[in-house]
Amino acid sequence: MIALNHIYKYVNQGGTRVFLLRDISLNIAQGEFISIMGPSGSGKTTLLNVMGMLDEADEGEYLFLDQPVKALKEKQRSALYKQHIGFVFQAYHLIDELTVYENIETPLLYKDYKSSERSAMVCEMLDKFNMVAKKDLFPHQLSGGQQQLVGIARAIVSKPTLLLADEPTGNLNSQQGQEIMELFKKLNSEGLTIIQVTHSEKNAAYGSRIINLSDGRIEN
Amino acid sequence: MLKNYIITALRNLWRNKFFSFINIFGLSIGISCCMLIFLYAKDEVSFDRFHEKKDQIYRVVAEIRSPDGKVNKESSTGMAQGPRFDANIPEIEDAVRMELTDFHIKQGSEVIEQSALFVDDRFFSFFSFPLLYGDPKTALQDPHSVVLSEDLARRYFGKADAIGKTLQMKAGEDFEPFVVSAVVKNPPANSSIKTDMLVSMKFQEARQEGNLFWMNFYLNTFVTLKKGADLQKTEAAMNRVYNQEAAAQISDMAKNYGFNEKVSYHLQPLLNMHLDTDYPAENGVVSGSNPLYSYILMAITGVILLIACINFINLTVARSLKRAKEIGIRKVIGGQRKSLVLQFMGESMVLGLFAFMLAIALTFALLPLFNSLSEKALSFSYLLDGKLVLAYIGLFLLTSFLAGFYPALVLSAFKPVETLYGKFRFTGKNYLSKGLIVFQFSLTTFLIVATVIVYSQFNYLLGFDLGYDHGRVMRVKTPKMNASGYEVLKNELMANPSIQALTAQNGGQWRTIAHVNGDVEQQFDIRGVSDNYFSFFGIPVIMGRNFSPAFPSDSISSVVVNESFVKAAGWKNPIGETVDFFYEHRKCTVIGVIRDYHYSSLLENVSPQLFSMNPQLRYKQVYLKFREGSRPQAIEHARAVLRKLYPAQPYQYDFLDDLIAENYSSEARWKQIISFAAVLTIFISCIGLFGLASLSAEKRAKEIGIRKVLGASVSVIMRNITLDFLLLVLVAACMALPLAWMAGNAWLQNYPYRISLHPFIFAGAALAVVFFALLTVSYQAIKAARSNPVRNLRTD
Ligand SMILES: Nc1ncnc2c1ncn2[C@@H]1O[C@H](COP(=O)(O)OP(=O)(O)O)[C@@H](O)[C@H]1O
Ligand SMILES: [Mg+2]
Repeated sequence: MIALNHIYKYVNQGGTRVFLLRDISLNIAQGEFISIMGPSGSGKTTLLNVMGMLDEADEGEYLFLDQPVKALKEKQRSALYKQHIGFVFQAYHLIDELTVYENIETPLLYKDYKSSERSAMVCEMLDKFNMVAKKDLFPHQLSGGQQQLVGIARAIVSKPTLLLADEPTGNLNSQQGQEIMELFKKLNSEGLTIIQVTHSEKNAAYGSRIINLSDGRIEN
Repeated sequence: MLKNYIITALRNLWRNKFFSFINIFGLSIGISCCMLIFLYAKDEVSFDRFHEKKDQIYRVVAEIRSPDGKVNKESSTGMAQGPRFDANIPEIEDAVRMELTDFHIKQGSEVIEQSALFVDDRFFSFFSFPLLYGDPKTALQDPHSVVLSEDLARRYFGKADAIGKTLQMKAGEDFEPFVVSAVVKNPPANSSIKTDMLVSMKFQEARQEGNLFWMNFYLNTFVTLKKGADLQKTEAAMNRVYNQEAAAQISDMAKNYGFNEKVSYHLQPLLNMHLDTDYPAENGVVSGSNPLYSYILMAITGVILLIACINFINLTVARSLKRAKEIGIRKVIGGQRKSLVLQFMGESMVLGLFAFMLAIALTFALLPLFNSLSEKALSFSYLLDGKLVLAYIGLFLLTSFLAGFYPALVLSAFKPVETLYGKFRFTGKNYLSKGLIVFQFSLTTFLIVATVIVYSQFNYLLGFDLGYDHGRVMRVKTPKMNASGYEVLKNELMANPSIQALTAQNGGQWRTIAHVNGDVEQQFDIRGVSDNYFSFFGIPVIMGRNFSPAFPSDSISSVVVNESFVKAAGWKNPIGETVDFFYEHRKCTVIGVIRDYHYSSLLENVSPQLFSMNPQLRYKQVYLKFREGSRPQAIEHARAVLRKLYPAQPYQYDFLDDLIAENYSSEARWKQIISFAAVLTIFISCIGLFGLASLSAEKRAKEIGIRKVLGASVSVIMRNITLDFLLLVLVAACMALPLAWMAGNAWLQNYPYRISLHPFIFAGAALAVVFFALLTVSYQAIKAARSNPVRNLRTD
């Protein structure tokens, strides 16, 4: 599904080139559950963003579903990730002005689903995540764990094939974290490919494979 | 999708009540000003369009060319032009004359003055003024019939149906009965012809000698052209007829009065009349208006709207930091840039809609004020006109677009990686935003300077030493009086202690010519006065002597002139010089010279002026000086005296100071308009700045917290926030001042007597702008500086 070959990413800072990613080569197959680990500042988020096409590698080749991403136009690229990828963030990133229901519904609005289809899909998510009673609440009325559940529901409501989660449990207590991990495991078993960044050995262990990142390189 | 946008928009507006309020309020002021100006403009262009024959009706106007090439445009004609052109030119279907006059009307024991129009009997088939009662064909057939407007009929008879009622009216020497033959609907506010009272031209014709005179200009002649008639051909035919039929009168005038001007006739379309500055509205055609006023009003309105839009843009962009996260999220979960642009445009539309609704309420509330400023009778119901509604929808879309488009572009371009991972910092130089603030405050400074200049010039004109004593002087109109009649009136008036002094003058003043230095033609203004005129007004006689009862010949053959006359005539030694009224075969001797005084408005230089006690110039008004504090007594006493001596005369009085101020009523109006504009722009600019300052303080809350913990004082922190903005405002002031100086100078060139532009005005205006900006910003700065540092540091 994902193939990274000798990916480099750098920024120029005051004349010197600072590498964020160095020589990353990685293959990820459909249905895998990957955990990326590494110290803070090691480039985990950068790598996730490159894979999610929010950011672009400076060197190397990236194939997503066998398509060379670099060759795609900006528009095609965003169409591609919007169709296939769901994002989950450490800070949840819900839209504050929208209710739980509306937050989950928003991606569907951008994808031109009919109103009846939308409500069916959103209700299925609410049901699956046990949030039916909270559907009319606003994000600030929920606990962190609940907000993250909404974040995940929003990420997967339009049925992506890949879920990218950047420290999804970073702001949660271990009890809440564990629930999210159980959920990921279940989603993975239903066929969703998941790549998550985590600091916790325990959470990393939910994955089928762990990738250790240090100073922009993959460690073996 | 739309629902989602609208919901977010509304919740966003609600969540940021403060900024929403600033935006909505500012925009609504701008929109409201636009609505008013649309109303105004619509009224201006709608003048006289209600006449059925509006495209066929023309006014006969004349160009009078002197031998030296000077052209005088005259919108009036004499009695002859209308009927003679009509009779001789096949293209002309009909002609109607209209002459303004005053009647005295008996109302119980009172006599009141009523202005009226003499019109030809086809008036009602020519113009479209529908009658409520009476027959349009016959209403003006009888010379002693009168047509009243609905309002006037109610005033005189208590009901609209006044047909057959009689009014005792006097145009010449005696009261005569006039029978109401018709009642006409009140003319619309946008009519150049006001039809309060109409009397048949036949009455007027009967009073004048039989022959039709071509050579004077005092009434309006309207003609209708046949459909498809050639305008140029018709005008050529008019001039042919004039040169043929008036030939005898022209040579007569040349012989007797040295008349040597060429007259040519033209046709002015009725629909151009209201806004034509060449051929002004006069002699019964009213409310002509200079289109320049519309343009200035439009420009001012445009400026106000622009400033409100700038607020919107600046605040939206500055607040984008808070929206950045939402934008990132929407992009990551599938939002295209296009849909985000749409969303933000939609938001500005929602906001625009609120502003629009508030603007309607504001317009409603401001309409009376605007009416008095613009001297119009605009009504709110005009707003419902189809075209105007379209214009307002256009205005709404335009403001929403103007205000929303740029922020939409900026916001939708945010990159999600940057906004979602906190790398995003909207600290770019932000030249556009700064540029807009500078632009905004330049306009504000400009308007402040303009206001100060207009105010100073106005006060300068009002406070100008006119060279004579016009305080506590009341003017009372009288019937024609000779010297002995005046003596009687004088004795009666002076009997009351409230009246201190009295002098008399003829009906008015006009321009005439006479020969000086042999046969050199000299133009001057002539006044007939009583002998104490100069001492009454405190006008010094600087050479020779005043009129005096000791010299009986004074009243026949002596004149007094002003300095300008002496200068114009080129006299070294004016006393004893001769002024030859050649067309009256009367020679007068100059016995005295008075110092120039400003007898007409300061918009003109003092012209040559001549005073005479010639008994032919019969007194028609007296000036009386009342004692300090006894103005009401003087009014009442004069009323009683005039009622006793001249019961058939309406009591009409004015105060000289009011008459003088009236000369500057246009300036007074513009003074008000421009100060309103200035206040509005300052206000809108400052609420915008207030919002920006609060955002800036908010953004820097953490920095301020740290500084405070480190021991910085409130004043240091304040200076930090304030300085950025002040710099921008100062730049703005520096840019606006030279422009304001040029514009002010150009405007002042219209005035022969004007203030000089003191640097103080500009420094003052710049200071005022800076002061207002400082006041606005420092409130936020103090609030930020006073805030609890611990709380600010926690929130991140
Ligand atoms: N646009 C950028 N400019 C400069 N430095 C950056 C940029 N993006 C990331 N970095 C730096 O690159 C390193 C890796 O960042 P990141 O991928 O966020 O690390 P992680 O997620 O593993 O904590 C960090 O040191 C970060 O400061
Ligand atoms: Mg990270």
